[in-house]
Amino acid sequence: MLLAVWQAVVSAEVWPRVLVPSPGDVWRQFVLASTVHDGVRGYGGHLLVEHLGVSLGRIATGSAYAVLAGVPLGLLIGTVRPLAVVLEPVVTFLRTLPPLAYLSLLVIWFGIDEAPKIWLLVIAALPPIAAATAAAVRAVPGHLVEAARALGSGPTALLLSVRLPSALPEILTGVRIAVGVAYTSVVAAETVNGVPGIGGMIRDAQRYNQTALVIAGILAVGLSGIVLDALLRLVERTAVPWRGRT
Amino acid sequence: MPRSDGPEADAPRTGLTKADGSRTDGSDVPDASEVFGASGASGAELAVVDLAGVSVRYGSPKQPVTALEGVDLRIRAGEFAVLVGPSGCGKTSLLRVVAGFERPASGRARVRGALPRPGAGAGVVFQQPRLFPWRTVGGNLAFALARAGVPRADRPARIAGLLERVGLAETAGRRTWELSGGQQQRVALARALAAEPELLLMDEPFAALDALTRERLQEEVRALAGRLGTTVLFVTHSAEEAVLLGSRVLVMAAGPGRVVAELPVGLAREPDTDVSALRASPEFARLRGRLAGIMRG
Repeated sequence: MLLAVWQAVVSAEVWPRVLVPSPGDVWRQFVLASTVHDGVRGYGGHLLVEHLGVSLGRIATGSAYAVLAGVPLGLLIGTVRPLAVVLEPVVTFLRTLPPLAYLSLLVIWFGIDEAPKIWLLVIAALPPIAAATAAAVRAVPGHLVEAARALGSGPTALLLSVRLPSALPEILTGVRIAVGVAYTSVVAAETVNGVPGIGGMIRDAQRYNQTALVIAGILAVGLSGIVLDALLRLVERTAVPWRGRT
Repeated sequence: MPRSDGPEADAPRTGLTKADGSRTDGSDVPDASEVFGASGASGAELAVVDLAGVSVRYGSPKQPVTALEGVDLRIRAGEFAVLVGPSGCGKTSLLRVVAGFERPASGRARVRGALPRPGAGAGVVFQQPRLFPWRTVGGNLAFALARAGVPRADRPARIAGLLERVGLAETAGRRTWELSGGQQQRVALARALAAEPELLLMDEPFAALDALTRERLQEEVRALAGRLGTTVLFVTHSAEEAVLLGSRVLVMAAGPGRVVAELPVGLAREPDTDVSALRASPEFARLRGRLAGIMRG
């Protein structure tokens, strides 16, 4: 249906083909970018899948670091009040920044290789995880904390064996949101020296007015995002089966 | 909130325990016997629970709400003491003082000679099971055993034994939310018993259960406490439950919360007692009627 409308608009030639390519053009670019043709491997020497794979790898790395840093940070913010006063505004500040705003700084500091890209994704993905963890740890049911204390739990056991697992459902939701943020930021991260990488591919295609390839790239990002989110939902369901049951 | 009173509760404990530990029971026994009559006279041995003039206040300093006023209470080892009274009479507050969750605004509270502190040897069963949903049934018990310092290798056998004791053998691998309310409360009881506490505190543990399950659990707890020799402080608003379970019933009244009367219960407590026959006995009916009369004032 959507394809039909799209095709109709293109056929009516309301806009030039360079601006609005047909579904067929996009499909052709998709195939070209995904195959070896005339001795050329995909686009820019890499297949579309490889571009996407490199980007997904960056997202995974960035998100992993964000989890490793964000969960402890959220635990601190959620449990140590004096630290929350200092750290919470910092997290909020980071969360409101658009990734492109600090990309330049990261390039100055870390050059144009992998480091600035990973840093950008970490900075983008960390705030949602820290915020979700802090909120979840604060919302741990008092009656469970009390029950644990009655069983002889000290502060450490309370934090690791009660507050953390109790907060896990919300933390995982935070991770899912963070991966989404990393996803939307990856194109920004790959603005500079981004090939291979789906964002870099889209940037290059834009530079050469290859609108069909830009659209093919966007579709690839969007569709893989849906798949990834479904996977994360599955992880959530299997890791925290008690969610909504108590 | 709980994280702030951990260190606070710890700090004064060591000092005060030493200071007050040297005090003999002699100074407290006359107080207790004045209030409780005969009960104090036989309390020569160290009371498991010893409260003297305990008051608890909630709310802001400007508008304090007095939950308890000048409560004296001594519970000897092996006693099954029941606090009974209308809602708002402070019976839960009293239990929370003994559990160490609440610090008295004034008065003296001791459990086995020390300031009450959560996790220091008293098992607590709440009105709701309060099981950890992220752990299995066995995992909930393992948590308690770990806190009690039971080596990892010994835990599976202990868990099996505990579940057997509460009639839930073979459920260690189950998810807590898959169990019925009554089963969950049994797990909570097993969890509270995991560290083999000398003192068991139960705050209306059966109030949320259906009548049949409640009766069955009443009988089991009665038998279990007798068999293990555990000292129990049990809170309820039901005269029937109080008389059935307690070896001694303390009646509380509201405004402010205080203990107003005491009723010794002389019903049979041998482990093989037929509790359903006991429920039907004239003696049970007489005691229940008397308690209900006292509670009405």
